[in-house]
Amino acid sequence: MVAASARLWKTSPLTYIALVIAVLASIYPFYYMFVIATRSLDAINSVPPPITPGEAFGANFERVLDNANANFFKGVVNSVIVSSVVTVAVVLTGTLAGFAFAKLRFKGRNGLLLAIVVTMMVPTQLGLIPLWEMMQDLRWYDTLYAVTVPFLVSAFGVFMMRQYATQAVSDELIEAARVDGCSTFRIYWNVVLPALRPAAAVLGLLTFMDTWNQFLWPFAALTNENPTLQVSLAFLSYAYYTDYSQVFAATAVGTIPLLLVFVLFGRQIVGGIMEGAVKS
Amino acid sequence: MALATPARPAAPAPTGPPRHRNTGSAKRARWDMKYSPYLYIAPFFIVFGIFGLYPMVKTAWMSLHDWDLIGDHTFIGFDNYVELFKDDYFWNALVNTLGIFVVATVPQLILALFLANLLNRTRLRGKTFFRMAIFVPNITSVAAVAIVFGMLFQRDFGVVNWLLGLVGVDAIDWDAQRWSSWIAIAFMVDWRWTGYNALILLAGMQAIPRDLYEAASIDGANHWRQFWRITLPMLTPTFVFVVLLSTFGGLQLFTEPLLFGNGNMRGGTQREFQTLAMYMYEKGINSLNTAGYGAAIAWALFVLIGIIAAINLAVVRRTVK
Amino acid sequence: MSVSGRGSKLVALAASAALVLGVAACGSDDGDSGTSAGGKPDKLVLETFSEFGYDELVKQYEKDTGIKVELRKTAQLNEYRPKIVRSLATGKGVADVVALEEGILNEFKTNPANWADLTPLVKDHSTEYLPWKWELGKAADGRLIGLPTDVGSLAVCYRTDLFKAAGLPVERDAVTALWPDWPAFIETGKKYREKTGKGLLDSVTTAASAITMQIGGDIFYDAEDNIVADKSASVKEAWDTSLKMVDANITAKTATWSPEWSAGFKQGTFAATFCPSWMLGIVQDNSGPENKGKWDVAGVPGKSGNWGGSWLAVPERGKHKAEAAKLAEYLTSATSQVAAFKLKGPLPTNLEALKNPDFQSYTNPYFNNAPTGKIFGGSVEGIKPVHLGPKHQAVKEQAMEPALRAYENGEASATAAWDQFIKDAATQGAF
Repeated sequence: MVAASARLWKTSPLTYIALVIAVLASIYPFYYMFVIATRSLDAINSVPPPITPGEAFGANFERVLDNANANFFKGVVNSVIVSSVVTVAVVLTGTLAGFAFAKLRFKGRNGLLLAIVVTMMVPTQLGLIPLWEMMQDLRWYDTLYAVTVPFLVSAFGVFMMRQYATQAVSDELIEAARVDGCSTFRIYWNVVLPALRPAAAVLGLLTFMDTWNQFLWPFAALTNENPTLQVSLAFLSYAYYTDYSQVFAATAVGTIPLLLVFVLFGRQIVGGIMEGAVKS
Repeated sequence: MALATPARPAAPAPTGPPRHRNTGSAKRARWDMKYSPYLYIAPFFIVFGIFGLYPMVKTAWMSLHDWDLIGDHTFIGFDNYVELFKDDYFWNALVNTLGIFVVATVPQLILALFLANLLNRTRLRGKTFFRMAIFVPNITSVAAVAIVFGMLFQRDFGVVNWLLGLVGVDAIDWDAQRWSSWIAIAFMVDWRWTGYNALILLAGMQAIPRDLYEAASIDGANHWRQFWRITLPMLTPTFVFVVLLSTFGGLQLFTEPLLFGNGNMRGGTQREFQTLAMYMYEKGINSLNTAGYGAAIAWALFVLIGIIAAINLAVVRRTVK
Repeated sequence: MSVSGRGSKLVALAASAALVLGVAACGSDDGDSGTSAGGKPDKLVLETFSEFGYDELVKQYEKDTGIKVELRKTAQLNEYRPKIVRSLATGKGVADVVALEEGILNEFKTNPANWADLTPLVKDHSTEYLPWKWELGKAADGRLIGLPTDVGSLAVCYRTDLFKAAGLPVERDAVTALWPDWPAFIETGKKYREKTGKGLLDSVTTAASAITMQIGGDIFYDAEDNIVADKSASVKEAWDTSLKMVDANITAKTATWSPEWSAGFKQGTFAATFCPSWMLGIVQDNSGPENKGKWDVAGVPGKSGNWGGSWLAVPERGKHKAEAAKLAEYLTSATSQVAAFKLKGPLPTNLEALKNPDFQSYTNPYFNNAPTGKIFGGSVEGIKPVHLGPKHQAVKEQAMEPALRAYENGEASATAAWDQFIKDAATQGAF
């Protein structure tokens, strides 16, 4: 046996069996969602549960769009806007601050970094009532500002970028740029940002998905007049009369953009999480 | 700072002051060096200060009052906190929060470790596919997960009960008992997070230098021994990270149990799965006149997270090392 | 000390940034004009829960006045109430017209200053409604805060096809005759269980609600608003009867609003539920068009009673109180009440509406052409007002019903359930 394969467990058929089971468990709820979304109303209550998709998706989704209470289409558009803006902002502020914490020397650096990590522990529900009141004062209630502005920065993003920058950006390179007379911002733009790109891409994708999936705060801050996708879903499923084919059709449609992102960039997300996200 | 210690103590060496000949640009450079770091971290602190810190402080202020949301506010000092200690439902919510956290997190971490170890094997075909497939649950929203799992765990027509029925188990009313509701909620949490954690652990495993294993196998250590003696200890920092993330998320658990209980803040007829966050919401927002008490619960939750995070750090570091 | 030095720098930074943000926020204020100043509003927001049957009426109102009306609906009261609470607490973003159910009305009446006095804003309608219903719309300080919408005269909705399959009578008078009193109802449930193996009634909590309302008197509060849940005769009676139903195993154990309950209407998990008239719309929508004609309406065991019913109120801080009051007036008028009844079932409280031949002769095609106008209208006169304390709804939904459900599910003994109920009643009922 060669030394290289001796270092780890070898792959056996059992490995594949275990992994395939894990994959099936991961995928079944999605599959179930699509099956129910494409069947008529009775499917959800049939025993044994339906296994194959049906042909009622069009009809189900039409009911979603007709549902004035849910404002589904607007919810999708709003979610795209909010998620995009938040993503760009979090990546920019995260890489800037992460760079500063990792590579620049300034008074209070460690204390401030500790403060950021502490904020990651703050339960989001802690400030719910005062924050809601604040949105009223700013007249941001039921506007996209309410679900965008408070999320333009992320403690996790700063921390993650700091961890990555510490190892991925070489001090020599920064030193060299400085000797060449580069300003700090130029160093960030020309040296640090390119080096952070893989991790920043992951941060961006994770932020996009997180924002897309936000529930509690948008539900408190928006109405069905101007909802995000998740709020719209809640209005569909919280109705006193729950049309589950409709709810599942909407849930499926709300999940498809993320699945698309994942199919396109999943390799980077997974690779990025593995390479950069955990240099802790 | 303990948390930020890199895996290998490659101390980040901040760049020293550059040498400039031209005095004008040297001045500018000095200003740049001194103040631009603050400029770069300012956005975070400004936005967080306004939309994070201020509401928190306001919550603290409210917790010292008998605060009626549409009536009077009377300052009562720490009475809310005193009452908290005597409140059965607070302790019940505390037990539920910790219980669901343990029921969800322990199997989740073990399973994640197991999956990571599978994915870390040599000559695994379809690596990328497997990695992506176990991560995919993480992209769904909690609302979607709760909607789908709510139906899977439904009593009369749910898939889970149907499967159990095939092996002769009677239909379980999942939200009627403590144990069953905890399991159902843990399923939602774990389905969404196990793959994510497995990937992070896998990353940690792959960062372990190969020569350690080679040396060990030359010494005749078998796979299990290598796993215990090399993999786990070297994985400590990653494990700390994973455990901390699970702690922050797990102790704030809110949406899953809420939607599982049909949107009722009470979390079951006998509060079988009411978490602290839900109890806070019940007292602080759903009930008009106990907002101050709700604010006190919010702060208790915050302190609890701090304590558990500290314990986590201590325990995980000691045992894995 | 260097720490304070760093601190003050940060504070200065934050302060200057806050200033910038503040200016930006002010700037956006100017553009945000959902209303034309002074004149009539472009839009009124109407906040309702469950189903009031206002969809068509609102469209008509928009056509008549040119004012857009945003009709909001929240399904359950326990989600609706906190929403109203939050808007009142902060005073902004409040709806222009808010529906208040009898179970939460008194809670909001404890802070009457939150609500506009409607007396100067609308014509004098004091003699046009059921007198007790009108009186309940007034706060302790005498201001009129709510215009009456509906009452919830009790009835039973039942599935004719399932009754037939169980060998029970199908015709509505015969069904009413099955259960002159509650013991008879339980006996019917037992027969149904024997024949079909299923529960007759959806869950024990709907029966408990019905019984407390039938007996009336002090329910959870006495006249001075002290909590008396542990001593109240109606609670005792409802509790004991409920326990008997559970022991006789006549319910399907489907908690109201749960997915099992929703599905149950279609799947025939249960064959009967208690139907105040506002419940008709809910039964209809849950059962779907494919079950049209299978449901019918019969009388309740025991005497008549009222369960539910609402008022329309105008928040004091609303921007268009005068216009809002006009909208509320329009929606509670005799013709509107009849229209809402035909659409979704809420029973009129306007005396003229109750005498309206259109109302009296109305038969509901979904419910096997049951003469719902006659059935419900006939019992309205017999309804006596019941005193509901400030947090009636909270005690009912968060104390009594969970405890009953715990017993129904076999998770709590009778004493444990009772203790839980009394304990929760004390906390939920405090105000």
